[in-house]
Amino acid sequence: MFKKKGNDGNKSIENQPLKNNGTTITSDALKRHLANMDDAEFIERTTDKEQKIMFVYIRTLIDHERFNESIIQPLMHHSCDLIYECITTSKVSEINTMEEALSQLLQGSILINDPIRNQWWAVLLQNPLARGIETSETETILYGSKDSFSEVLEQNITMIRRRLPIAELKTEKFTVGSLSKSTVVLMYIDGLTNPEFIAIAREKIKQINYDMFLDSSQVATFMEEHHNSVFPQFQQTDRPDVCAYSLGLGKITILVGNTPFALNAPVTFFHLFQSPEDYINRWIVASFLRSLRYISFLLSLILIPMYVALTTHHYQMIPLQLLFVLLESRGKLPFTPFWESFLILGVMEIIKEASLRMPTKSSQTLGVIGGIVIGQAAVQAGFASQVLIVLMGISAIASFLVPNYLMTKANTLIQLMILILSSLLGIFGIVLGLIALLIHLNSLTSLKQPYLAPLTPFYWKDWMDLFIRGPLVNMKSRPEHLRPLKKWRYSQRR
Amino acid sequence: MMICLVLFLGGCSPFMESHLTENNLIEEIAPVIFWSVNKGEEGKLKVSTLVPPLTDEKKRLNTLEVDLLKQGEKGFNLTYYREVKTGQLRMMLINEEVAKDGLLPVITTLLVDTDVSQRLYLVIVKGDFEEYMSKQIEKQENLDYFIYRMLKHYEDDKGEITVINLHQFKNYLYSPFLDPLLPVFKIEEDKFMYEGTAFFNDDKFVANVNGIEDNIVQLLATNNYLDLLPLPEQSVTLGHVQANVDTKLNDLSSISIKVKLNGSIDEYRGDKDIHDYSTIKEINKEAKVYLEKKTKEVLKQFQEWKVDPLHFGTLTLKPFEKKMDHEEWMKHWEDMEIDVEYELEFEPLTNIDTNDGDHLTH
Repeated sequence: MFKKKGNDGNKSIENQPLKNNGTTITSDALKRHLANMDDAEFIERTTDKEQKIMFVYIRTLIDHERFNESIIQPLMHHSCDLIYECITTSKVSEINTMEEALSQLLQGSILINDPIRNQWWAVLLQNPLARGIETSETETILYGSKDSFSEVLEQNITMIRRRLPIAELKTEKFTVGSLSKSTVVLMYIDGLTNPEFIAIAREKIKQINYDMFLDSSQVATFMEEHHNSVFPQFQQTDRPDVCAYSLGLGKITILVGNTPFALNAPVTFFHLFQSPEDYINRWIVASFLRSLRYISFLLSLILIPMYVALTTHHYQMIPLQLLFVLLESRGKLPFTPFWESFLILGVMEIIKEASLRMPTKSSQTLGVIGGIVIGQAAVQAGFASQVLIVLMGISAIASFLVPNYLMTKANTLIQLMILILSSLLGIFGIVLGLIALLIHLNSLTSLKQPYLAPLTPFYWKDWMDLFIRGPLVNMKSRPEHLRPLKKWRYSQRR
Repeated sequence: MMICLVLFLGGCSPFMESHLTENNLIEEIAPVIFWSVNKGEEGKLKVSTLVPPLTDEKKRLNTLEVDLLKQGEKGFNLTYYREVKTGQLRMMLINEEVAKDGLLPVITTLLVDTDVSQRLYLVIVKGDFEEYMSKQIEKQENLDYFIYRMLKHYEDDKGEITVINLHQFKNYLYSPFLDPLLPVFKIEEDKFMYEGTAFFNDDKFVANVNGIEDNIVQLLATNNYLDLLPLPEQSVTLGHVQANVDTKLNDLSSISIKVKLNGSIDEYRGDKDIHDYSTIKEINKEAKVYLEKKTKEVLKQFQEWKVDPLHFGTLTLKPFEKKMDHEEWMKHWEDMEIDVEYELEFEPLTNIDTNDGDHLTH
């Protein structure tokens, strides 16, 4: 009844592929295709030999300086017979169809017509517009390399290649997105990465059928097996060292054009708790920090629900002194512990989100106002108890210890789910929530590989780099759960 | 779906009455930390408790005369706007008169109440605790909490007073050879002070010991350790006294107890020269004789009271043999000859010359 009636006429237009005809290239045909494109230019020049040459390009996509230096000047004063021979740039290709011509034009090529042979050439002279290599903002570390990916795909590949200068590092190129024509590069180490992962990834990329991909996470969405989970099934990182390390372990890396974030897979739940700094610190310190992250993750999940459970159902478990404090402070409050926590949690999320969207300087002010002023005022105005504000602070800070930012976001939702359960069922609810979470995690897969490995299925050797980070000299083999073709990490038996 | 199934099958639905999901919103309840039970008029019980305050409210002592303990709890709920909860109950203060009639009903009530922790401290009180509390509450607002902290402290840090909790008391009560004991506190005007250790025949309070006799009980039975052991007759205080007790039952007619005490002389106020080694030897000898005499006296009293708080009855237990019942053991215990021997080894107050080759042992 309420179903939208499809408009057959419109539908047929939408589903039509964009005009890509394989007809012969003529300047008229090109003009037709590039009609109403203000930045498309057709220039005709006469050379010293009285030869008329046509240049077709899109002004905003090409590098004008190089165009003058390596094409216009040599051609105008050329002494060679063939146009092709005069062009002093390496990326010259012969094009024959209209489809090729348009594709090259939109990638930043200049089309040149050779009137004698009636042949079209494409010279790639992309506009080098890109930001420089900067430090990673999403995964900051104190020690270790500081460079991070940028939007330029080639540059990103270079950064990985520099770290893994081996011929076995393969890059397979795909194009996805009917509108965005995004380049996706699948990287792996031949003879090391399990061919099953490569085949699955290759197959999944080929199957992608969508119009636009503006970020690698969108590519990941089309490649993952569980769309309704809050847990990321691909590790998104903008650090080349993380990608190189992952490749070295036997994972695959997917780079997407125009985004600084690469995807690593197969990933496990525990990979999300690993930071590049783990492999820089002393192993004892690194192990301590890693365990701290797991504990903080658990704390950020259950601290507030625990408060609600204790104050709603299990007053018996509250330490006596704290009970008296809570009795006094909660006596003034109009809300039950659940609504109190729910409200403060909501406010906290608003502050977090607002400080992210604001410019850095404003977000600092916002943090101070949000954290201190609202927190203090909430207590004084009788909206929340002091104990809750303290717990909320600890919980919020603890949630940021997880290096993966997507995981931090997922945290809040899980916390909310456990909060509801705890208000209804107390500690039993928290336990139930955690069991449900464990069941969910156990059912997840990344590139069809188990998400909770090496816990389930159990690979005891991989525990050396799981909750702790063992000494590197003892980590002789690559993770078993990744089933690499080369097991040992050393080249000669020690 | 699965969660719902687990909830409902487990009977843990929030919509059903369930112990797991009891609504205990802390601002709506009054978690009390002690109950005091006294004898009321006409065989009734007088139960009292202090209700913790909410904001802008004074702490108040509630007292009710009831026939049953739980009736008191219900009675409080009817007269007070917050529900009294026993989940944080830490102490049970029982008047000696109630204890003389037997503690079994009180203990059973507490034991079956799943809200009440087994780590609840049991205390026998001599005097009117309610009156004392109502007077002191004006001066010391957190008095109940301080009393609890004191008991908790001495439970962990043994060596001063006897501290027994519900779990231990229950174990003593239901074991054939372990007669229960409890701390006794006395009320004197505005003081609530430790008096000694109370002994029970089955569940009935018989008598209590205090002073040096209490110290001996602590050394021999409860703690095997004393921070300080003052012996005024010898003008000496022994410190950090560690007792090593070796008991031997000789054919059910006599028992020999060997006690080895280690520690230090912490104070001497006598006339003799404490720097003289012979004086130390003399003090040791006197202390040994005194302690042996006192121990014998205490044990004789136990025989008269028909109690065995030092658990000598367990010595009759032998593998693959039928256990002796409590009555039979008591018959033997009453007439048993007791031989006590002390061996004292103490560090002197200061460094002294012990070159005569004799060791400080008697």
